[in-house]
Amino acid sequence: MIQLERVTKKYRTERVETTALDNVNLTIDQGEFVSIMGPSGCGKSTLLHLIGLLDAPSGGSIALDGKPVERYGDRALARVRNERLGFVFQQFHLVADLSVVDNVEIPLLYRKTTGKERRRAALAALDRVGLASRTHHFPGQLSGGQQQRVAIARAIVGKPAVLLADEPTGNLDSQMGDEIMGILQELNQEGTTIVMVTHDPRLAERTHRVVRLFDGRQVQ
Amino acid sequence: MIRHLLKLVWNRKRANALILVEIFFTFLVVFAVGTLGLFLWDNARRPLGFDWQDVWAVRVNMQAGSDDTFTAEQVETAARLVREVETLAPVEAVTGAMMEPFAFGQYTSGRTVNGRRVSMSVNEVTASFAEVMRFDVVRGRWFQPADAALAWRPVVIDEDLAREAWGEEDPIGRRLGDPDPKSPEPERRVIGVVRDFRHHGELSGPDNFVFYHKRLGHPQDRPPRVLLVRVRPGTPVAFEEELTRRLQAVAHEWSFEIAPLAQTRESAFRLRLTPLLVGGIVAFFLLLMVALGLLGVLWQNLLQRTREIGLRRAIGASRAEVHRQIILEQLLLTTLGVLLGTIVVIQLPVLDVFGSVLRPQVFGSGLLSASVAMYLLATVCALYPSTLAGRVQPAEALRYE
Ligand SMILES: Nc1ncnc2c1ncn2[C@@H]1O[C@H](COP(=O)(O)OP(=O)(O)OP(=O)(O)O)[C@@H](O)[C@H]1O
Ligand SMILES: [Mg+2]
Repeated sequence: MIQLERVTKKYRTERVETTALDNVNLTIDQGEFVSIMGPSGCGKSTLLHLIGLLDAPSGGSIALDGKPVERYGDRALARVRNERLGFVFQQFHLVADLSVVDNVEIPLLYRKTTGKERRRAALAALDRVGLASRTHHFPGQLSGGQQQRVAIARAIVGKPAVLLADEPTGNLDSQMGDEIMGILQELNQEGTTIVMVTHDPRLAERTHRVVRLFDGRQVQ
Repeated sequence: MIRHLLKLVWNRKRANALILVEIFFTFLVVFAVGTLGLFLWDNARRPLGFDWQDVWAVRVNMQAGSDDTFTAEQVETAARLVREVETLAPVEAVTGAMMEPFAFGQYTSGRTVNGRRVSMSVNEVTASFAEVMRFDVVRGRWFQPADAALAWRPVVIDEDLAREAWGEEDPIGRRLGDPDPKSPEPERRVIGVVRDFRHHGELSGPDNFVFYHKRLGHPQDRPPRVLLVRVRPGTPVAFEEELTRRLQAVAHEWSFEIAPLAQTRESAFRLRLTPLLVGGIVAFFLLLMVALGLLGVLWQNLLQRTREIGLRRAIGASRAEVHRQIILEQLLLTTLGVLLGTIVVIQLPVLDVFGSVLRPQVFGSGLLSASVAMYLLATVCALYPSTLAGRVQPAEALRYE
């Protein structure tokens, strides 16, 4: 479903050039639950951003459903991100000035849906992550675990084929982490392909496959 | 999307208050200047009601007596002056009046008609005024010398006054002013109606106007303060000297000041256009400052929202959609500011501040043009920041905490 071939990512600043990813080859099949592990700064987030089409590689190619994405224009990319992918960030990235349910609705704003439908889908997604009773709170009034669950609800509200999660439990204690992991596993069992970055070997064990990075290279 | 953005705007009221206040005050200033401009323009395209070309005004200073006291001899001299000027070859017609059209200052009077207070501007003119100023009577008739013998005083009014005092009814023969035993005023009756007479010039607003009959040589009527002389087209300026000489020959003690009406008309223009010019300059600089301020505030707001914009890009907004969202947000905010401004401005007609001077269409156009100006301003100011917002790279924007 997702194929990376000899993908390289270099960051150029005025003085230095950092190679964040070096010649990475990776294929993720439909329905897989893959975790990405590696020390800090090894390029995990960079890899996830490339898979999520948030950034373009410096070399190599990325294909989604067999089609290379290099030639996609901005509008087409936005559409793929909106309809095929869901993203969960380490720092939640909720909009502080919007209520929980309004946050969850955001992806649907960029599709053709009615307000009623949006609201229904958002409430269903929140119910899914066990937050049906907090829909009109603001992010600042929620605990970290609750905020991350809102972020997951936002990622799944559009029923994406692939869910990308960057250390979704990184900021949470282990009990909350287990809860989040439980939700992800359920989603995976229902057919969502999941790629998750994690530092936690316990969580990685519960996935189908672990991809290890070291200094921008795949190991083993 | 609109509802979503409204919520955003509302939940960010603190950050948006500054922009809102700027839009509100600018709206008020633009409305004031715009409405003044539209008012003058609307006036300028309406007929003036008389012909000022080739008319010279001779201001007469009798050098004695106060405003209301005059001697029989002065009355006699004034009548002789008119007769003298009539004989001059370049002169087509002469009339005496209390004041000349376009003159600064006015004599207004309020009268009760059928129990309702009606205010009006007044000029007292001799019978030849209509001939000199070239206007037609649309109803009834103009003054004649024989009117001097009437037991009551005839008046000619303009259409504005006829409409305000009697609506669609025929004003001829009606009393201008209900009988009032306490007032020494003689009974005045309407004998004719002329088209809107715009004594204060092309730029002046609607004005009720009434002419009283000045009886030349009549011992009870004050001698005219000004003579209006219609000269043949092409009369050279040098005639002014001869005219002065002839006048001086009749009344050595008096002094005369001659100016073509064209000149008085120009000073009247200047008088009315100056506030517009000053207001326009103030409004222009204000708009410039507000535009810069708005640009700065919008930019600042956007910098603070880079992460939110990155997030929206990451979960499916295209560049164009982000661009559109920022502009739309700005337009929503502008709508709030304009709405607030409109609520304030609409109080003016509700409290009847303008009376009948400002036509409702002019007020409406002023409101509309001020709103359009605010939307334009907001769009122009939002254009660059929203382009920047469209350029936000999602991966970059979401990286830093
Ligand atoms: N925008 C950027 N500009 C310059 N260098 C960058 C940029 N983004 C990432 N890097 C560099 O690329 C490398 C990989 O970064 P990345 O964020 O992918 O690491 P990571 O594995 O996710 O680390 P962590 O576990 O701490 O999140 C790092 O050396 C980082 O400094
Ligand atoms: Mg990372």
